[in-house]
Amino acid sequence: MIELIPHIVNGLTLGLLFALIALGFTLIVGVMEVINLAHGALFALGAYLAMTTIGGDWFGSSEFGVWWRELPLSTRYALGVVAGPLLAASVGMVLELCLRPTYGKPPLYGLLLTFGAALVIEELIRLIWGTGEQSLAVPRALNGAFFMGGLIFSTYKFFAAGFAIVAIGLVWLFLERTPYGATIKAGAHDSEMVRALGYDLSKLRLLVFGFGAALAALAGVVMAPIWGLRPHIGIDVIIPAFLIIVIGGVGSFWGAVLAALLVGLSVGITGAYAPAWSMLSMYLLLIAIVGFRSRGLLGRKSALEN
Amino acid sequence: MRMITLSDIPARGGSPMTPAMALFMLALATAPFWLPAVGLYQYLGIEVAIWLIFALGFNLLFGYIGLHSFGHGAYLGIGAYAFGLFQQEIMVSLWGGLLAAILAASLAGAVVGAFLSHRRGIYYALMTIGFGQIVWFCAIKLHGVTGGEDGLLGIPRPDLVVGPIRYSLADNYSLYWFVAAILALVVVALWRLVNAPFGRVLQAIRQNETRARFVGYNVWLIKWLTFILSTAFAGLAGGLFSMAQEGAYPDVMSLHQSGLIVMMVLVGGGLVSFWGPVLGVILYFVARDIIGGVTETWLLWFGLMFVIMVITRPEGLAGLLHVVGARLRKKSAPGAVPVRKEA
Amino acid sequence: MALFVAENLRKRFGARVVLENISLSIEEGSVHGIMGPNGAGKTTCFHVLTGHHRPDGGRITFDGRDITGKKPHQIARLGVSRSFQIMNLFDDTVVIENVILALKQFRRNGMNLLRDVFSDTKLIDQAIDVLDQVGLAHRAWEKAAELPYGERRALEIAVALAPEPRIVFLDEPTSGLGTEATRALAVLIRKLRARYTIVLIEHDMRFLFDLADRISVIHWGQVIDENTPDELQSNKWVARSALGEVA
Repeated sequence: MIELIPHIVNGLTLGLLFALIALGFTLIVGVMEVINLAHGALFALGAYLAMTTIGGDWFGSSEFGVWWRELPLSTRYALGVVAGPLLAASVGMVLELCLRPTYGKPPLYGLLLTFGAALVIEELIRLIWGTGEQSLAVPRALNGAFFMGGLIFSTYKFFAAGFAIVAIGLVWLFLERTPYGATIKAGAHDSEMVRALGYDLSKLRLLVFGFGAALAALAGVVMAPIWGLRPHIGIDVIIPAFLIIVIGGVGSFWGAVLAALLVGLSVGITGAYAPAWSMLSMYLLLIAIVGFRSRGLLGRKSALEN
Repeated sequence: MRMITLSDIPARGGSPMTPAMALFMLALATAPFWLPAVGLYQYLGIEVAIWLIFALGFNLLFGYIGLHSFGHGAYLGIGAYAFGLFQQEIMVSLWGGLLAAILAASLAGAVVGAFLSHRRGIYYALMTIGFGQIVWFCAIKLHGVTGGEDGLLGIPRPDLVVGPIRYSLADNYSLYWFVAAILALVVVALWRLVNAPFGRVLQAIRQNETRARFVGYNVWLIKWLTFILSTAFAGLAGGLFSMAQEGAYPDVMSLHQSGLIVMMVLVGGGLVSFWGPVLGVILYFVARDIIGGVTETWLLWFGLMFVIMVITRPEGLAGLLHVVGARLRKKSAPGAVPVRKEA
Repeated sequence: MALFVAENLRKRFGARVVLENISLSIEEGSVHGIMGPNGAGKTTCFHVLTGHHRPDGGRITFDGRDITGKKPHQIARLGVSRSFQIMNLFDDTVVIENVILALKQFRRNGMNLLRDVFSDTKLIDQAIDVLDQVGLAHRAWEKAAELPYGERRALEIAVALAPEPRIVFLDEPTSGLGTEATRALAVLIRKLRARYTIVLIEHDMRFLFDLADRISVIHWGQVIDENTPDELQSNKWVARSALGEVA
């Protein structure tokens, strides 16, 4: 049992990271009943944009560029963490504008449109940054490893997991404790209600999509140092995000978090016995859970079921 | 203006003698003669024909009964591996291999379908992705059987044996004729199927599952059978594909490829027309070769085209052709809208 | 013995008990009304009787056969048919195909791949007959989605009649209809009662009292009264709702 502990710790950190990845995805599904297949692409885009911001190459040899590159890495990193998601959010908003003709049609069309958008974003990344693997620099304080109970743990992973907890907490507070959150949640269940409350539904959708895209990008920035940066990383991301919302139940915030932890744990623990097969465990988990509970752990009825 | 749907009453009952069918068969029969002339090559014809078998079978599930599978590449892959393994482990035989491909894919389809058929909508789609990923993952990890990421290499192209006649399929020219003949059979069979009572019931289930159940149809069973049927076609396509490629590789099973087949079917207009998948597959491969010849980032342009299509013409190419055709007809004969009105 | 009998049906969704205890007995050849306030469990009751929901307890028999817990298609094949409050039609296709799909004869040759749907004149004649019963024969080749509301309601009934059922459950057939259409529907149901046993959920009291032989009043998931329309006039709840206090 004791030898399992590092795997459990690993699994839990992985679970938190999965939760971070799924956060924006589940928000958009929950509120807008749109399956945003571009989530993975926005994740990658955010990370690439943050990388470029941190590197400062695009500012060229102008005075600003030179000044920028002389800033300490931690400052540039902090700015990159903000800039990546903000830029991705604007891309997300453009995507929402494109999605408008599909509202009121079968959910399939939204899904297809975002699939196309994912292709386009991925190809754009290839075009701008090339196909090779790149890395995102992190400040020294976050690098390295530490020993605990005779085992090595990566500092950055813990930073990322802590970051995930904070992000999950903030999003939850935002949804539960602010009037904006209340409106967003109302939008999820009852668009009539939102209109009755005097909010502009299309503005709300635009903001939610931007917010979801920013969360995807944020996850990308945080995950890039662990997974590396490749143009097609989006597809590696969309799958766990998918699994998590299905296992957790479409539209349930805590269902998604719980599912992410379960997926992380199952991958971590199977990793102890059969590392090559560890990723398979999440699919088996999906089938086991959804086989018994057709709406996942905490799902509610959704228009997407039709 | 009224849009066409899959469920419109066919102009000539269910007779396969339609202008579209004639045009299709003509193109199929003459392709080897003009493909090189327009700057394309023989192998493209084989590839398109194989993906047409896959796409048309897939549309039975996707368009006709309205079940959105996003993991169908898995069954194409299973067919490809089954064909290859049959050649390598059991015997070199064309019919045996194709039969093995169809059986393996439909067996997998029967198992997976049993988990899926009481669902629809988003959970159906997500479960198909889950199962598709499992198959893909196993294909990569089961080195001993599938050759892992490298795939199965050196799958032979067995000779075509019919009675005493033996015909080599080693060159792409003769393989094209074989694949085209199978495709022709598939097209006619599927055309019959979708216009026969069974096909109309599939469409009824798409339109209203609840109502279909309450007029006495065993909806679960029909959904299950349709899934199996579509995986059988995928398996057949997979067997032919491994013959064409002389190998079986895991990448056809990836989510990406499964997404592409959905995209092809939709761009072509598989939701509104039997011929939608045909248009979509041809467009995809031609775009790949022509735009791909000009720029490396052809998928960017194809993706953009797709996005614009979903926004402006969600009915796809078939829908577009219908609109253009109707406009032309209107110009030449104002007010003449053919509506069937007999009883 | 009654044609369709439900005894002590219970149904709950999670913590919410929708059907507490429902017993109904429907005589062959009668028109049986079901009334009660919104949320009383009338539609759920239909869902349970026709197999859409499985009851948590109780027994349903049709023509002496136990059909409790059977699937909708199995119950439908025995000769139990229904319409829906929210319309359930095959909207992409023409009116006549909605009916053809429901014909027993059509279902039987469902697997025959060599048959054609629209060149089978026998099936088409049969479907036209059914459409004629509800006055829709002239609309046969129009798209179901393009019919006006009242005619869609009529088609909903035609689809329920097509499988030649012995009993037809109609869930609020007058909902959304104007006075004229409601009157036409009453005429239709009077005509149909010669051929089918009919169970009606209805909000329109006058309509129901006019047509039904017996009426069950459902409230709080229970049958609180069951009687002929004349006798029921004296029921407290019915009297109140007749005065317009409860819709």
